[in-house]
Amino acid sequence: MSQIARRCLPLIAAMALFAPSQATAQPAQAANTCLTCHSTLADTRLATPAKLFSGTDVHRERGFACADCHGGDPAAAEKARAHDAAKGYKGAPRGQAQITACARCHSDADLMRRYAPKQRVDQATEYATSVHGKQLAAGHTNVATCASCHGPHGIRLVSDAKSPVFPTNVAATCAACHADPRHMAEYKLADGTPLPTTQFADYKKSVHYAALTKGNDLSAPTCNDCHGNHGATPPGVGAVSNVCGTCHAVFATKFQSSVHAQIFDKGCVECHSNHAVLKPSDAMLGSTGHAVCATCHSGADDKGAVAADTMHGQFEQLEAGIRRSGALIGRVKNAGIEVSDQELALREASTKLTLARTEMHGFVPASVTPIIADGAKIVESVDAAGEKGAAELRFRRRGLAISLGAILLLVVALGLKVRQIDRRSHS
Amino acid sequence: MVKGVVDWLDERLDLSDLKHFIAEKGVPIHTQEVWYYLGGMTMFLFGVQVFTGILLLLYYRPSSAEAYESVQFIVTQVKFGWLIRNVHSWSANLLIALAFAHFFSVFFLKSYRKPRELTWLTGILLLFLMLGFGFSGYLLPWNELSFFATKVGTGSAGAVPVVGHFMLRLLRSGDDVTGATLSRFYGLHVAILPAITTALVAGHLLLVQRQGMSVPPGIERAQKAGKLGPLAQMKFFPNYILRDVLAWYVVLAIVAALAAFYPWELGTKADPFAVVPPGIRPEWYFLAVFYTLKLIPSHIMGFEGEQLGVVAFGIVAIVLVLVPFLDRRASRGERSPVFTVLAALGLVYLIVFTIIGHYAK
Amino acid sequence: MNEDPIPTRAAAAFDRRRFLDALLAVGFVSTAVAIAYPVSQFLIPPASGEPATASASAGKAAALKPNSAHIFKFGGRPGIVVRTTDGDVRAFSAVCTHLDCTVQYKPDTTQLWCACHNGTYDLGGNVVSGPPPRALETFVVNLRGEPGDEEIVVSRA
Repeated sequence: MSQIARRCLPLIAAMALFAPSQATAQPAQAANTCLTCHSTLADTRLATPAKLFSGTDVHRERGFACADCHGGDPAAAEKARAHDAAKGYKGAPRGQAQITACARCHSDADLMRRYAPKQRVDQATEYATSVHGKQLAAGHTNVATCASCHGPHGIRLVSDAKSPVFPTNVAATCAACHADPRHMAEYKLADGTPLPTTQFADYKKSVHYAALTKGNDLSAPTCNDCHGNHGATPPGVGAVSNVCGTCHAVFATKFQSSVHAQIFDKGCVECHSNHAVLKPSDAMLGSTGHAVCATCHSGADDKGAVAADTMHGQFEQLEAGIRRSGALIGRVKNAGIEVSDQELALREASTKLTLARTEMHGFVPASVTPIIADGAKIVESVDAAGEKGAAELRFRRRGLAISLGAILLLVVALGLKVRQIDRRSHS
Repeated sequence: MVKGVVDWLDERLDLSDLKHFIAEKGVPIHTQEVWYYLGGMTMFLFGVQVFTGILLLLYYRPSSAEAYESVQFIVTQVKFGWLIRNVHSWSANLLIALAFAHFFSVFFLKSYRKPRELTWLTGILLLFLMLGFGFSGYLLPWNELSFFATKVGTGSAGAVPVVGHFMLRLLRSGDDVTGATLSRFYGLHVAILPAITTALVAGHLLLVQRQGMSVPPGIERAQKAGKLGPLAQMKFFPNYILRDVLAWYVVLAIVAALAAFYPWELGTKADPFAVVPPGIRPEWYFLAVFYTLKLIPSHIMGFEGEQLGVVAFGIVAIVLVLVPFLDRRASRGERSPVFTVLAALGLVYLIVFTIIGHYAK
Repeated sequence: MNEDPIPTRAAAAFDRRRFLDALLAVGFVSTAVAIAYPVSQFLIPPASGEPATASASAGKAAALKPNSAHIFKFGGRPGIVVRTTDGDVRAFSAVCTHLDCTVQYKPDTTQLWCACHNGTYDLGGNVVSGPPPRALETFVVNLRGEPGDEEIVVSRA
């Protein structure tokens, strides 16, 4: 063997040892000239990935390196050899190639079990069923792929608060494309109208967004909770109340059994909207003005209008009763009567009101009436107790007035006595 | 039966001096004698306060977590708790009103003149103590009104120059009004102030009993000029005492009427982090001073307005204490119109500014 | 007959004095009673013991059977005391953290459940399913009194 060959042998041996295997995707170790070279480049497009990957990155922390996704030779010192296609270099994978690149590991159950046993391995399959996946298959490359949401470098765990797919960040990540009219211009709905881009703005008005961001309730829904994670598709006809029902189970059950379930294909969305889900109020119920029911129902001969008005009236009455009772109890309490039992009872009445509002989603006044009646009975008993309290206050006042009379009588008697004693002293 | 007890004690303690004193003690009768009763009425109400206060003590809890609830407990759960509490609250206000009436009657009738300077001294200190009782006691129910009124009141203490911040911290037991303030005010209200007051009341009473009732200077002058003969005396016991007791029952009737027709409310529990309710002000007996301080512009000739106001009131307090020594003419028995005018101005100022302070926004 | 008028007048005056004295005595005694009666009643400790700020009674321990619960009052809000199947006594605030409805105990699932929107909590107070955003406030439970006749005393943690 020549001198050069002998010297290169160890190097070749090392390269052979450390060359990435295409078959079993073992993490590359030690040598990673990709980073050392790319981090010094002036072009930010080429330098940023290196910087991000050197920071917090879930793949790097588990021993994976650039070549595991991009291919090429991590030990090579110069570009041509490092970017050698023979060594599997594929550049930055985009579109379907990206899906394939990620799925190489993430759809491999045996492999994933070694790193995250509970993690799912069907994301790529799911993706294929999604709108994004179907559009990609049809040749539209402007859709989201893995890296669009998870990031290509500096990938964080979903549970990491800085991850773009952490619950509080999901909506903004989706909105990066879906709220951009220019990006969405080429996509149309089934009937030819352009895809809306107001979803994020609408969602930000919703109670779900408020619960998520201000209420610290990470279980509150964001885009993926209703549309799906990787198989993202808007819920179709008949599916909406199921989707809402995953959390709002009671309402969904009542609604499914109601007359509206046959009529509304948009289910819950018909009255509550899909993205701008606002805090509901009794004002939504009724057959006049801004009430939601009034969109279809009006007039005295419309059964639906009558039902809406009846239930609306019942809710108003109970709520007014609870308020009035609360005021009476408050006044009496302030004056010094024990009313904690009544306060508790009023809470029960409020519970009845909440239950009635739930029952309303069956749209049958007859099933709401007994609940309202229970609430009204409670309010009546609280009112009675409040009146008793007020009577007790009047009784106290009368008692004091009587003792006042007694004292005044004594004062008069004392006055007379003083006069008598004075007369005696003088005489 | 009473005579039996007295005789039993006399055998053991020799009450002959006391008996002689009571038998001989007289109270002069003249046109202004009605003012004599105010002091006794004030003392009676102080006794009512001590009595009802001790009763409240059995159930009250001086911590910010429990004070409001304990007062609520007293008023709603304890039998007649509402009565004891109402009497205590109303009698407090009446006590201060009567103390001021007594103060002004003494001021106008110049009873402070020689030889009664010490009586005046103890009396004026007692007046300040009563105001201290009112201020410290007002916080104890720990409701919204009292919390913020205390905040404003102790804040004014901070306006005193040099020692202001120290005084504020001393009063508030810290920089802010907190549960620590409540504890401190409680200690003041049930221990420190009562101890000092008892000593001063004892002194005040002893002096009055020893020196007898002061006769208005006008009447004394008329006597000296020969226009009036020696004043008739009524016997202290039983004539004057019976009239005193009559006055006390009248006061009791007024307290009962107020408690019956204007019961004291619980209010809402204090929340230190809540916004100050608009129009917050202290109780009526501090309104005049409070409103005056509010009216003073924030800066006068380079000095902080509030500081000047507080210093001015401090000077007024010191002058009041020294009145017997400043009013030489009254001590000599001469007419002293300057001090009469000052008293009148003081009374008018207090009434007018209390009313304005009540109706001002 | 010549009647001496003076004894009659003196007698009348004497009667008037006696009457006035009697009236005064009645007056003093009645006002004294009007004061003493409320004061003596005031001194009697009320049935509810003390203000229920830091702790409250949740009934007798013997009355709470295993796998059952009942609602009690704690500072103006409902609480729920549960005896688990193992005999352990636990207490929570019964105010659902979703929309303030009162929760109840379901013996078949041994969970706390809110009827309003199907919120479910486990016996640690933690949310198992449904809309509630936070766990139920947990209270400290102590037993007080004679063995066999203990009272459940609930206090804030």
